[in-house]
Amino acid sequence: MDFDFIVKSIPLYVKAAEVTLELSFWGILLSLIIGFICSLVIYYKVKLLAQVVQIYIELSRNTPLLIQLFFLYYGFAKIGIKFEAYSCAIFGLAFLGGSYMAEAFRSGLEAVSKIQIETGLSVGLNRWQLMRYIILPQAFSVAIPAIGANAIFLLKETSVVSAIALADLMFVAKDLIGMYYKTTEALTMLVVAYLIILLPISLLLTFIERKVRHAGFGN
Amino acid sequence: MKKFLKTVSLILTLLFSLGVLAGCGSEPAKKSAIDQIKERGKLRVAVFSDKPPFGFVDANGKNQGYDVYLAKRLAKDLLGDENKVEFVLVEAASRIEVLEADKVDITLANFTVTPERKEKVDFANPYMKVALGIVSPEGAPITSVDQLKGKKLIVNKGTTAETYFTKNYPDVELLKYDQNTEAFQALKDGRGAALAHDNTLVFAWSRENKGYVTGITKLGELDAIAPAVKKGNTELRDWINTELTKLGEEKFFHKDFEETLKPAYGDSVNPEDVVVEGGAIK
Repeated sequence: MDFDFIVKSIPLYVKAAEVTLELSFWGILLSLIIGFICSLVIYYKVKLLAQVVQIYIELSRNTPLLIQLFFLYYGFAKIGIKFEAYSCAIFGLAFLGGSYMAEAFRSGLEAVSKIQIETGLSVGLNRWQLMRYIILPQAFSVAIPAIGANAIFLLKETSVVSAIALADLMFVAKDLIGMYYKTTEALTMLVVAYLIILLPISLLLTFIERKVRHAGFGN
Repeated sequence: MKKFLKTVSLILTLLFSLGVLAGCGSEPAKKSAIDQIKERGKLRVAVFSDKPPFGFVDANGKNQGYDVYLAKRLAKDLLGDENKVEFVLVEAASRIEVLEADKVDITLANFTVTPERKEKVDFANPYMKVALGIVSPEGAPITSVDQLKGKKLIVNKGTTAETYFTKNYPDVELLKYDQNTEAFQALKDGRGAALAHDNTLVFAWSRENKGYVTGITKLGELDAIAPAVKKGNTELRDWINTELTKLGEEKFFHKDFEETLKPAYGDSVNPEDVVVEGGAIK
């Protein structure tokens, strides 16, 4: 291990970590929005739209992110639509994440038992109140572990964006290997960098999970 | 807190066991490198899949090119059959790792000799020479490096072009790709002002792709391209060197040029500018 080299490359990794985090932040945020809307469309079985959403979910979940990125970056450029690498990456993440989030939300919505809904209706709640006070709180507490897992999954998926020349963590590691052939050092730092980012997030999610479970089941 | 400690100790255990496992990869019983290849009956060679006309996969899925031509000849002279060669396809940045991880015996992927690389692998004598070239669209040709300031230059990760510009022109913004195909695709999509790569490669590419010119044909030092073997494998390296001297006598690389490079270059490139015979640059 060449520790001088490791110390010297820390700034490069910090800069790359910023790219990784920024991409993940926007990717996860958009995924949550897309996922939430899609899950409601499916839950309420909105005519036509539900089918479209279903097709989107199957398409997005059954194709790898790398392929989606190549399509956005190289494929669209051929038909005259040129996106910057950065927007491609966020689009790609949102496209992929949206469907996973949709399924997570849906599992939560469908877990709310019929009795709960009928009880709500019988005390005269309207549709909006039913959603706000009965369905969502329970659905959310069921869905939160899956949502958290998806968020971490998306953050890790950002490691393929180096394929479209974005300088994320994986890119820097491969670049250092290519230029100086310090394979062990570069890869060790890569693993450590991801751990530094993901461990706190993972712990935070465990904490949130316990909080919402408490709200859901009172234990 | 308890859970946190548990997580941390789990990770430490994992890291520790990794270290122990890494220790297991000790050297197998010393056996002559060439005997090992003969026993296996196959020479494993790392080549490019996307760098025509040096190393590429043709429409029938067969490896072709200047490097491949040499690899087949080495297999023939070592094992008696030019088909006793197994091609391992690599990208530029992984050419050293495949040797270090013992995935291949020889790297013949248009590998330019540099001081950094010499520290990691052993190079045999050269069989080709190369400088950098820069290709750009005909409409906006780049004819001097100064024109690149403030523009994006496309390069491949782990190539001499990347190292050269990082060291000598840090103010040129580099757009770095893993594969040659992706890099050239990006140039076609107009994602950078120009692309820098080995001049031998960009010559061939700009000849085949209308609308692009090699505005800068010779940049940087004239470098040697040589076969590489794993560090310390002097036996195989020496064998390759003897072989290169022998091949020089029959002007093997001129034949190689005729077969593989001429179709791509036409008469635009003089073989003497590319070919190295007998392992010595004159």
